Amino acid sequence: MEDIASRIVEKAISLGCQDAVADVVANRSYQIRFARNEPVISNRWRESSASVFFVYRKRVLASDIKDLSRADEAVERLVKIAKGSQENPDYAGIAKGPFKYARTRPDPKVVALDEGGKYVEAAIGGALDEGAKECAGSFWKYEDEHFLSTSNGAESHDHRASLYLSIRALVALESSGHGVAAATKLSRFDPAKAGHKAGRIAVLARDPKPGKPGRYPVIFDPLIFGSLSDQVGGRLSAWAVLAGFSPFGKKVGKAVASSQFTLYEDGSADSIGRKRFDAEGVPTRRNVLVNKGVLKTYLHNTTTAKKFKARTTGNAGLVSPEPHALFVKPGDWTKDEIFSEVKDGLWLTNTWYTRFQSYVTGDFSTIPRDGIFHIRKGEVVETWKDVRLTDNLLRMMKNIEALSNKPEQMMWWAEVSIPNFVPYALIKDVGITKSAE
Amino acid sequence: MEDDRSELVDFAVDYATKRGASYAEARYERHDQESFILKNGVLDALYIGDDRGIGVRVLVDGALGFTATNSLAKPDVRGIVDDAVKIAKASRRKSRIVFAHEDAITMNWAVPEQKKLADVPVEDKIAEIRSVDADLTALGFKIPARTFQLSNNRISKYFANSEGSRIRSYSPRLRALYFLTVMAEGGVEQTHRNYGWSGGWEGVRMWDLSKRVLDEARSMQRSLTEGKKSPEGKMDLVAGPQVAGIASHESCGHPTEADRVLGREASQAGKSFIPPDGAGMRVGSEVVNVVDDPTVEHSIAYYATDDEGVKARRRYLYKEGRVAEFLHNRETAAALGTRSNGASRAVNYNVEAIVRMANTFVEPKDYAVDEMLEDVKFGVYMKSFMEWNIDDKRYNAKYAGREAYLIENGEVKHPVRGTVIELTTPAFWSAVDAVGKDLECEAGFCGKSDPGQALDASMGGPTIRLRNVYLR
Repeated sequence: MEDIASRIVEKAISLGCQDAVADVVANRSYQIRFARNEPVISNRWRESSASVFFVYRKRVLASDIKDLSRADEAVERLVKIAKGSQENPDYAGIAKGPFKYARTRPDPKVVALDEGGKYVEAAIGGALDEGAKECAGSFWKYEDEHFLSTSNGAESHDHRASLYLSIRALVALESSGHGVAAATKLSRFDPAKAGHKAGRIAVLARDPKPGKPGRYPVIFDPLIFGSLSDQVGGRLSAWAVLAGFSPFGKKVGKAVASSQFTLYEDGSADSIGRKRFDAEGVPTRRNVLVNKGVLKTYLHNTTTAKKFKARTTGNAGLVSPEPHALFVKPGDWTKDEIFSEVKDGLWLTNTWYTRFQSYVTGDFSTIPRDGIFHIRKGEVVETWKDVRLTDNLLRMMKNIEALSNKPEQMMWWAEVSIPNFVPYALIKDVGITKSAE
Repeated sequence: MEDDRSELVDFAVDYATKRGASYAEARYERHDQESFILKNGVLDALYIGDDRGIGVRVLVDGALGFTATNSLAKPDVRGIVDDAVKIAKASRRKSRIVFAHEDAITMNWAVPEQKKLADVPVEDKIAEIRSVDADLTALGFKIPARTFQLSNNRISKYFANSEGSRIRSYSPRLRALYFLTVMAEGGVEQTHRNYGWSGGWEGVRMWDLSKRVLDEARSMQRSLTEGKKSPEGKMDLVAGPQVAGIASHESCGHPTEADRVLGREASQAGKSFIPPDGAGMRVGSEVVNVVDDPTVEHSIAYYATDDEGVKARRRYLYKEGRVAEFLHNRETAAALGTRSNGASRAVNYNVEAIVRMANTFVEPKDYAVDEMLEDVKFGVYMKSFMEWNIDDKRYNAKYAGREAYLIENGEVKHPVRGTVIELTTPAFWSAVDAVGKDLECEAGFCGKSDPGQALDASMGGPTIRLRNVYLR
């Protein structure tokens, strides 16, 4: 596979390309989906392909070559197409290697794992033990192996493997809870804990009453705070800023959040999003994005870095920069202290369908799902349903009042698209609306 | 099919049956893709895809296994069949999955292309979008960000199952998306629109993209310079095709997906406010008919057979305001004692087919838009939306206006900004008292399943009128 990557690059250069990158990937992932307390389908993939990036006289072409046995032919065809494309005057090249990479290897026990049924059973069992009636979710063993070669001298290999489980537990249609487990080491993978959490929230969420619109202090469980930090991290991509998909334009060096909030991005740290290198072969590293509320940098590849007079942050995707894993610096509050701080507010445990009216201003709404709790004097006094969080992303980040001291790794379908390490958060004056009947 | 893999697919099905599968199917798909984004006048990159592979799904001892590979070597296909059988057997289900009966069919179908997508040089495709971009910038508005994406995908499939079905299909698809940011007088408006077509390059002419983009930019500019705050309170709402379409998709299509009703999507896309025995439940007024129809010619989600080899047909989701029919695949149909209505689709060879919408829209009736407007004393005419969302049981929806106008005494007045429809599903559909004849559909991506499958879909309707609903 390593040979294929370098052969693709050599071939593209020999055909006149100024830059070429090939990332040959073997995907051996495995999944069990479950619903109604039992597996509904098991999935397994055996796929190999090469993600390639060719530049001919500033004409940029990206592709995935699926038939590696005929890679040479594919390169010839793609370079020919690139020649007929148009110049990207902003294109500024790819990072110059060679680079030194961290020594990483996956947990052999994760790599060897061939059957996930017992983890599904553990999660479901945990939720049912708490009193849940119905569980659904997914167990994943992610495993992929990358062989990277670039025309600027970057060569590397990365074998990634991790475990993930997401479970939603229900007592009734409107009484549910969600839990996730994620680990790169088998010994740290705890699906039962995720099941117990989902089950506990579901049981606590029994008999919900229609919520009341207003502005409240809100405690964000890590899963929903992960959704917010995911929005912040994703919209810090320089590409998102240039394309109008971000409220962070022209805000580097300015306060964009409360001084409680520090966010960094780190593909090199242990997470299920860990990578040795980005799509240009640049070693991943820790990037402080927001420091005590002040925006420090966008996420860059070589091209966007030049446009913003910055340096690449090692976040190149094939075309646009993207975060690998996000980390919210924990605060010094305990979870109990955060709850005690709330005299009359809400505790939200999950959300979905986050959509913006204006990405530039940050006006958005999202729909809390699973447990929605009314808190008085730190205690749950009522379960709510049918409310919507309607606010502004920047305003909410500036209204962060407290963060707990124990972050958890979160990732979830559609909402938390990349791993986010997030604590409990308390945000004041959050807008809550509801539907008219 | 130029790239005939039928022998390999047939082998996979036969071999799975020999390995003990009570049912087996295999799908070869080839996706020839071209896509590019023109961002602020710069072509970031051209993406070329040549994706192909085989997916195999087996039913063994009442459990499902699915495996996929992009290797087209026989030993690898044999390997994924072995894997599929093995992982299905390991499922340890307490109850057995069964499929509703279907007769085997042999069929070839293809969407006609007047001008084949493959015959249009990529340079011409880029030039087409550059021309729209040039028209837009010539307006002289302050447009700090603008992106256009044009993509085409030529999908060839060969499907076989152990019951004898053998289906070949060819589906060329063309799609244009744009996203604009317009600023004026200290304010900002953003919009995104999405157009789709099954067929050849002639689809570009059908869209008249330049006119649409310019009309939209002008309406954004006008909204910023002349717009006033939208009124709050109970009033009438005239909702244009784009708004009727998103409501059809979100609060009619999704809640009638039988897999969601039965809980299979509970952890991801959610469940439904409609229970499994919910047929006949009232959710709207008697003038509301909402259909999902994969057989609309040249629609982005057109198909003649679904990915379980079931013939496609129009489905009435809501009829005369009542829940009429769920969208089914063979598994959900068997669970609810009925037959599949051909709603099973996968985004590519490497994922299982699940219950999906195709083209979902309010069935048109006979009102002209002017007739609906002239009978409104005070209200809002919301032609399009920007922000939207709905809860996971599909009951609480929000559509925030992009292009909207005040209506007074039957006349359309100045633009209004910030109109919000935040209503329950029955509140929205029960308030409809008039349905127009101006059916229009736009394309979208419908997200569901794990791994996520963002699938071609369209949604639309005619203009509809809602009486006495709360807006803010």
